[in-house]
Amino acid sequence: MNTKLSTNLTLLAILVVITAVVSLILPGQFLTARNFASMGRQFPEYGLLSLANMLAMVTGGIDLSVTSVMSISGVASSLILSQYPSLPLPAGLVILLGILAALAVSAACGLINGALIAYVRVPAIIATLGTQGLFLGVSIGVTKGHGIGGFPDAFLFIGNGDLGGIPTQFIIFIAVALLVGLLLTRTRQGFYMLMYGSNPLVSRFSGVNNEAVLMRTYLTTGLLAGAASIIVISGVNSIRPGYGSEYLLISVLIAILGGTDPAGGFGTALGLTLGIFILQALQSGLNFLNFSPFFKKFMWGLLLLAVMVFHHFRRLYSQRRAIRRLAAQREPAANGGSV
Amino acid sequence: MKAAIFKRNEFYLLLVIAAFSFAITLINPAFLTIENMFDLIRSSSGMTILAIGFFVVLLSGGIDISFPAVAIVAQYISVKSILALGIDDIWLAFAIAIAIGIAFGAANAFFISVFRIPTLIVTLGTMNIFHGAMLEFVGTKAIMVGELPNCFKTFGLTDILSLPRADGTQYGLSVFFLIVVGALLATWVILRFTVMGRVIHAMGGNMEAVKRSGYNIARVQFFIYCYVGFLASIMGIIHVSLISYSVPTYIIDSELLHVIAAVILGGASILGGTGSLTGTILGVIMMTILEKNLVMLGLSSFWQQFFVGLIIVLGVSVTHIQKRIRSRT
Amino acid sequence: MSDVFLEARNISKAYEGVKALRDVSMTIGRGEVHCLVGENGSGKSTLIKIIGGVVAADAGVVVIGGRAHAHLAAIDAIREGIQIIYQDLSLYPNLTVAENISFNQFVERRASFVSWRDVRSIAERALEEIGEQIPLEQIVQDLSVAKRQIVAITRSLTQNARLIIMDEPTSAITKEDVEHLFSVIARLKAKGISTLFISHKLSEVFEIAEVVTILRDGMKVGDFPASELDDAKLTYLMTGQRIQYSPYRFSGEKKAAAPLLEVRGLTRKGQFQDVSFSLWPGEILGLTGLIGSGRTELALALFGLNPPDAGQVFLNGRVVRVRSPEEALRRGIAYLPEDRLTQGLFIGQSIGDNIIITILKKLLGALGLIDPLRRRKTENSWLEELQIKAPSPKVRAWSLSGGNQQRVVLAKWLATDPKVFILDGPTIGIDIASKSNIHQIIRALAERGIAIILISDEIPEVLHNCNRLLVMREGRLVREVADATSVGEEELLTAIGGKLTNKTA
Repeated sequence: MNTKLSTNLTLLAILVVITAVVSLILPGQFLTARNFASMGRQFPEYGLLSLANMLAMVTGGIDLSVTSVMSISGVASSLILSQYPSLPLPAGLVILLGILAALAVSAACGLINGALIAYVRVPAIIATLGTQGLFLGVSIGVTKGHGIGGFPDAFLFIGNGDLGGIPTQFIIFIAVALLVGLLLTRTRQGFYMLMYGSNPLVSRFSGVNNEAVLMRTYLTTGLLAGAASIIVISGVNSIRPGYGSEYLLISVLIAILGGTDPAGGFGTALGLTLGIFILQALQSGLNFLNFSPFFKKFMWGLLLLAVMVFHHFRRLYSQRRAIRRLAAQREPAANGGSV
Repeated sequence: MKAAIFKRNEFYLLLVIAAFSFAITLINPAFLTIENMFDLIRSSSGMTILAIGFFVVLLSGGIDISFPAVAIVAQYISVKSILALGIDDIWLAFAIAIAIGIAFGAANAFFISVFRIPTLIVTLGTMNIFHGAMLEFVGTKAIMVGELPNCFKTFGLTDILSLPRADGTQYGLSVFFLIVVGALLATWVILRFTVMGRVIHAMGGNMEAVKRSGYNIARVQFFIYCYVGFLASIMGIIHVSLISYSVPTYIIDSELLHVIAAVILGGASILGGTGSLTGTILGVIMMTILEKNLVMLGLSSFWQQFFVGLIIVLGVSVTHIQKRIRSRT
Repeated sequence: MSDVFLEARNISKAYEGVKALRDVSMTIGRGEVHCLVGENGSGKSTLIKIIGGVVAADAGVVVIGGRAHAHLAAIDAIREGIQIIYQDLSLYPNLTVAENISFNQFVERRASFVSWRDVRSIAERALEEIGEQIPLEQIVQDLSVAKRQIVAITRSLTQNARLIIMDEPTSAITKEDVEHLFSVIARLKAKGISTLFISHKLSEVFEIAEVVTILRDGMKVGDFPASELDDAKLTYLMTGQRIQYSPYRFSGEKKAAAPLLEVRGLTRKGQFQDVSFSLWPGEILGLTGLIGSGRTELALALFGLNPPDAGQVFLNGRVVRVRSPEEALRRGIAYLPEDRLTQGLFIGQSIGDNIIITILKKLLGALGLIDPLRRRKTENSWLEELQIKAPSPKVRAWSLSGGNQQRVVLAKWLATDPKVFILDGPTIGIDIASKSNIHQIIRALAERGIAIILISDEIPEVLHNCNRLLVMREGRLVREVADATSVGEEELLTAIGGKLTNKTA
């Protein structure tokens, strides 16, 4: 049984240690404003996807389609944005339409996932494994594998601009993370998500509309992926279907690293954010040391397993501790009477 | 009775395949010829072998998404080793690949049985560990036709049966067929006639009960995942022998969803315990026919990915709805 | 040659400091039907696990057939002929009956290969031995619970069982099936196979058991021939107390108004048929009957989880269709589930979270967000109101005792301010003191004007806490008793279809 505080404190400690180690190995390179700005541009893309998978896991599921949803929304958005020169509309409106397109498409994808999981009762793994192909397939089919580029300059501000020195996407991410945190701790839907993930049967017996909870969950994961797509295409001024496929592993890794229980019932936005920072610090370190993207793949796979092994031992330890505490509680009342 | 319904599942699939074949033959008479059949068998042998392995994992209630990575890693390292050793022998190539495949599988089994980590997450992790490690430490250079050792090329052209064409040239039934039949038979015997095979079924049905029975589950897990690794590594060699070049980033994207779609089409349940080899083979046949004839159905090859995803989604939905209807009566 | 098959001598077991069993000795004779009773926490499960070798005792020996085992392992227990049938039966739903029956044999033989002829013959022989007939090729998933139980028992025969241990075998099967099960046990007895079972259904204990061993708080109270016991004596021995029941008096004035709930001709195929009754605020209506009589199914229909095929439900005179628990909640219908552990509590979450899940709407503050202060206050007030013994609402639900857990579930539903409150077996598996405490709470609720339906198969509980009774039997409402004080236990028992509590052999 994790408590939010102990999990998040542990993560904070790990973050501090990693930051210290990396800055020691790379003196004068890691702890610079420039590096922070650069990191701040990198992580929001997969950070949002990680938030998505955290929410899916909180309900006891998983969303393997997040990168594909990102792809298809990016394509939808790009199709509109790239038409900018030939459209008799002001840039602002086109940008707005582009953003709306991304969000609308990603929402639709999310609802499809939700419907499969909530109403057809397909297990989340397989439903999102299927829709992953479906959504990516549409992006490839529509673009015929080519990229789309050429967006209005103003749009590029999202991925390349900054407000007071802080990268735009960083601010967007923090805002979204705060909203997700609020969702989980202070809204009814978030509460239902956690409880449903804890035990779907008891949730139904408690008068919760399980189907609505699942629909909302996957709608949200879809929207998060849609938001990620906007940041991505704004950052590189183009879209290539299949971009960010490695983010899938990373989003699952960060969700688990951030303390989310893949079986459902527990997860915090704060923990997730700390997990992102830990990963980003590691990633920066690896980048500076000129490790290839393949090595990173290797590292992340290793880290995923390492975190799970860690959780295994942690669970074992806390179970033993809990039994001891329980025994101590019961002992005084062991002579008849209500126990 | 469930047995009857289940047989219905495969029966329907057979009907659909027959219908499709008939329709396609109308459009393209060359479809239903022996030569075309031999060709289809040759090109789909790899997927069939992967599907058999995936089916066994699914039956036990687990899921393994690392098998394409196993295939390509085993393939690439085997090819590079043959090149480096200078011993142009297909048996050696197989031996190296199989060793790697089993090692990979053992790693999966280790994390699954010792640390109780969910199978999806373990295989997600190992897939990246091994593929990433290979790309990083062994290299990313594609090995093209010219450099590929002859043993592979010769193996790929080996036929076990040869028939003449009208113009005097020959076409044949690839030796791959033999391997597929061998894998099928071996798996059938294991699943049907060994205690361990029945335990695999049991695990998919009620894992808790198997634990209580005292059977050594870790041993079964090791077998299952090493077996998948074994089959995947064989597929890797078949694959390079088929296309005559080895690109270390291949297989993963193209095969994963296709194999899963095929197995699910064949009626295996994602939750484990149900499914049959017959169904799996039928599923592969269905997928192959669909894939090869997508263009004929008016869909460009770019829509393939979509199509496969659609098949999975529809296939699983149908299975689940069937199950719900059955449980209600 | 002694008549004793197994003797557990001076068994003690402690879990991390808590004494689960203290110097317990028990003897089981050959071919004996032996029952083990006790409240939750009395140590019955632990004793069974020790006899079966699943758990190791700290002290004491298990003597089987004359051989003493200080450290009995599961394999040894099985070899000695001890078979445990767990409540979930441990069957493989996707395999056939024949396979399920012979499975353990193949595991034991350490065989590599399966001989399907052997599978069939083992299963056939075992079924013949037990005198049962079930199609060998049928997939277990398609069998009824009762038939599955038979399969489980048959399976235990394949390993030369001399003692079959059953944990609550009758909790999920119909009365007919219980009779059938008892006849199977009788056949086992004829073969010299002993049966040890745990049950809390006192009427059944008396019907089938020859010897009853009573445990209380980890110690043995005694062994008694079943003929010497009756309900009251057994309860007293189990709990050390006599339950004092004072009949519930319903204040008649409230009855003047129209009924709050009216049910007309409610039917669901295979579960209940043509059920009609009315319910007034302030009443405690007892709904009783055996398992399979349709009472829980009826309750779930009212709660929205089990939509009826026909019939109407009226709330305050207006027709309602409750199609989901969500809707039931909105209409003021609350349901305390039969199984609090799997249906009522989020066992891994805090008790505060468990309580507020039904009333989140009431806790909203600014911006439609949950107000943490209001939340904390509400949680604490419920802890206090129901006297839930826990240091804070943040404590996890699994750490509470049965009685306190039930109070958490009660709080969850009371918080919704229900008009109709259906309580399904609210005091099952709860110690005596908490039981009467919960009865008091229920009465207080009725006094507040809530209409209560109390479902229970414990006749005394229903007789003494309800003002009116409904008896269901095989899906039909067979008897309505307008004044609970006017009827006696035996009469009610007959109406239900149960047997007399004290059976002479």
